[in-house]
Amino acid sequence: MSDPIQMIDAGGLRERVEDSALLWSLVLVVAVLSVLPLARLLLEGIAPAGHLSADALLRVLGTSSTWTATQHSLVTAFGGTLLAVVVGTLVALTVSLTDIRGANAFVFCFVAPLLLAAQVVALAWLQVFGPSSTLLKLIGIAPPMGSRNPLYSAGGIILVLGVQYAPLVFLTLRAGLRSLPQELLEAGLAGGAGPMKVVRTIVMPLMTPPLLASVALCFVSCLGNFGIPALLGIPGNYLVLPTLIYQRLAGLGPGVLSEVAVLSVLIGAIAVIGIVSQDLLLRGRDFRTVSASAVARPFELQRWRLPVEVALWTLTALLLVLPLTALVLTSLVPAVGVPLNFESATADNYHFVLLEHAGTRRALRNSFGLSATAAIAIVVIAVPLAYFLVWRRNRLLRLVNLVTEVPYALPGVVLAIAAILVFLKPLPLLGVSLYNTIWIILFCYLARFLVLGLRPIISGYHQLDRTLEEASQIAGARLLRRLVTIIMPLVAPAAAAGALLIFLTAFNELTVSALLWSSGTETLGVVFFSFQQGGDSTYAAALGVLTVMVSFGLMLATLALANRLPRGVLPWRD
Amino acid sequence: MNVVSRRTFIVAAVAAFVFTAVPATAQVPSGKLVLYTSQPERDASQTVAAFKKTYPGVDVDVFRSGTTEVMGKLAAEFSAGQPKADVLLLADAATMEALKKDGRLLPYPQARLDGFDSGAYDADRTYFGSKLITTGIAVNTAAKNRPASWADLAKPEYKGQIAMPSPLYSGAAAIMLGTMTARPDLGWSYFEKLKAADAVAVRGNGAVVTAVANGEKPYGVLVDFMAFNAKLKGSPIDFIFPAEGNPAVTEPVAILKTTANQPAAKAFIDFILSDEGQKLAVSMGYIPAKATVGMPSWYPAGAKIKLMPTDISKVVETNSANLKRFADLFGN
Repeated sequence: MSDPIQMIDAGGLRERVEDSALLWSLVLVVAVLSVLPLARLLLEGIAPAGHLSADALLRVLGTSSTWTATQHSLVTAFGGTLLAVVVGTLVALTVSLTDIRGANAFVFCFVAPLLLAAQVVALAWLQVFGPSSTLLKLIGIAPPMGSRNPLYSAGGIILVLGVQYAPLVFLTLRAGLRSLPQELLEAGLAGGAGPMKVVRTIVMPLMTPPLLASVALCFVSCLGNFGIPALLGIPGNYLVLPTLIYQRLAGLGPGVLSEVAVLSVLIGAIAVIGIVSQDLLLRGRDFRTVSASAVARPFELQRWRLPVEVALWTLTALLLVLPLTALVLTSLVPAVGVPLNFESATADNYHFVLLEHAGTRRALRNSFGLSATAAIAIVVIAVPLAYFLVWRRNRLLRLVNLVTEVPYALPGVVLAIAAILVFLKPLPLLGVSLYNTIWIILFCYLARFLVLGLRPIISGYHQLDRTLEEASQIAGARLLRRLVTIIMPLVAPAAAAGALLIFLTAFNELTVSALLWSSGTETLGVVFFSFQQGGDSTYAAALGVLTVMVSFGLMLATLALANRLPRGVLPWRD
Repeated sequence: MNVVSRRTFIVAAVAAFVFTAVPATAQVPSGKLVLYTSQPERDASQTVAAFKKTYPGVDVDVFRSGTTEVMGKLAAEFSAGQPKADVLLLADAATMEALKKDGRLLPYPQARLDGFDSGAYDADRTYFGSKLITTGIAVNTAAKNRPASWADLAKPEYKGQIAMPSPLYSGAAAIMLGTMTARPDLGWSYFEKLKAADAVAVRGNGAVVTAVANGEKPYGVLVDFMAFNAKLKGSPIDFIFPAEGNPAVTEPVAILKTTANQPAAKAFIDFILSDEGQKLAVSMGYIPAKATVGMPSWYPAGAKIKLMPTDISKVVETNSANLKRFADLFGN
């Protein structure tokens, strides 16, 4: 223990009792959120419905649809990862190593898709192509009738996954590039190597760890994504594991719970293989560098600067502006297939979703309540938890740190199925079942997004000077008091950033709630998805535009907070 | 009998009289009502809004999905022992018949059925047809051909141009499948021909109307009101009544036996079957079950739509085998 003063009197003893009471309650919370559901899922895989049996396992593994969906999952996850890595790496290198202007604005636009709802992005892309595209009709180049929207395919899923997750690669690499030692690059340039050669022989080899980390992150995210393959894959009957699980459960109910549990374990296992192989690839190699001085954008582009800037902004126009424009245009037509012009343009779709449709209002309330509650509750858990993780390191805490990552790293459907298994039967002592209530969704949000709040708060602690806390400890303030009066105000900016990140993610969430909602507990993602599934894509477009506006509004509002935050806490701020 | 016990008896008798008499005469339906329905979002919203105008004390929660998915949800809740729904408004009588067989439906003998055709409701008064929804052929107005019959759709010029609702999602499509496969002139060979012509089965009628209106598939198998409502809003879509006739469903409404709010559930049935409720259906583009309230504006003047007769009890029997065979054939 690193406590500055050991007091072996009654007060010290009481302090230590309080300390360990707090620590153990936090450990218990993490165990209930992270360990319990996954342990229950694994148990179901081995012993379906409580009996040791391989029947469900063999039945699921013996069905061809399982393997078709697995193959589709692998194809789209690898394809999406490849695209994201190529785009994300090129952009990260250009933005970090060259002297382009307006990098801040560009980073904001490039990272934005990551923080929008995946299903809304997918619908927006659908509106860019096909004979129905309002945008293409407007400029008179819509393909002929009867031609298929090319996005209803594996290629379409890969394209949108790649666009959605390229920012993940960008962010991870950018963090790595910031700690690139300047001396090495200068030595390379002084030795006569051109910029390309320096990138190839010095930068990229040193960037192997963040690159591999981003590949693994990207792969797991693509594998677990539900919104994109749901919108682009289900209509063409191109099912991946998350959509197969959804269809089975939605169509047949918890009677097939044991079977979808096996499917969840399968997709979880693929994700774990992805994460572990990244570790194995890095093992035994040494990437340590001597200094960690930040590079001040070493390459001057000179006459290439303008063309490169134009290329970057064209990319933004293609990846962000184009699909969102198409989405807005579709939200303005009165019905599917009607060409847009000054006479046909209407706000009816917005009127319907905002004022007439009771479900949307309920969903707005639910999503807002769930996201805000999750954000606040996670901050309350994460501030004391980070205190222990940063300032009281030991083996138990290292394990706790690792465990909090698991529910976020694994695909969302895995957690959702696990939660159904835990909560379907009435809770012991209370005698009520959480299944079909809003609490099961909240539970999943807490488990899944805990790490999103924890990470920025941990980096907030790393920036703190501990002397204030130590001074108040000497003055006799006990841990809880120190946490509330000294530490909380100091980590408040980081906590606020974490809370916002949680709020944004939960507000746009569909994967978990698609499996867990019931009448009265629908989220915005669920209502959007129902509109789209019911053929009301103009309503879906209007609702999508509204959620995009909320996301952008929140992201812009947080820029005001940005100066008080540790670097890298807000992903959309460079 | 001493005084005290006599008084107790009288109090009990009065109480019994009050508590049995009040619900029948004066109780205003109130509290929460959960409706599971396969109606499109907008129609379900309007139905609930109109119901609430008549019964402002009742709060209605709606769960909406394809009939098959609604049934999946219900089956789940039955097995968990706590069904959440109070009333159902689903596409077809076969689904209701299956629920009735399992003893899930509450009979409502007092339902006011004057003016309804006796074929529109269950003889045991457990479910009541609210509309007539027929399935025909939708075409994009810019499409080259005008199919006149179901048989036409299987011709080579329609290859790769047809969308139809999957019976694995839609109740109306399940009835269509059961009705058509039972006919000697169409039968399973008709669906095999459609498959050979690369017809695709999409999720429900909503997806069909989208595909036809936006031109991804110029021709579609579709329910009447969706085609006409889209046309009314300006979508480039026409509806054809095929020569062989239209398969039809009645969109019945029913009360679950497990409802905790019988007065509100019965009020919902009353509303759907009332002239007001029937007129609402007409205003939303449906053919009402009670013909005397009028017809939607699109209804062919002076003509009668030729219906394909459906043997409901046979569909109940063959449904799951049909669905499985369809899934094997079309892959979804």
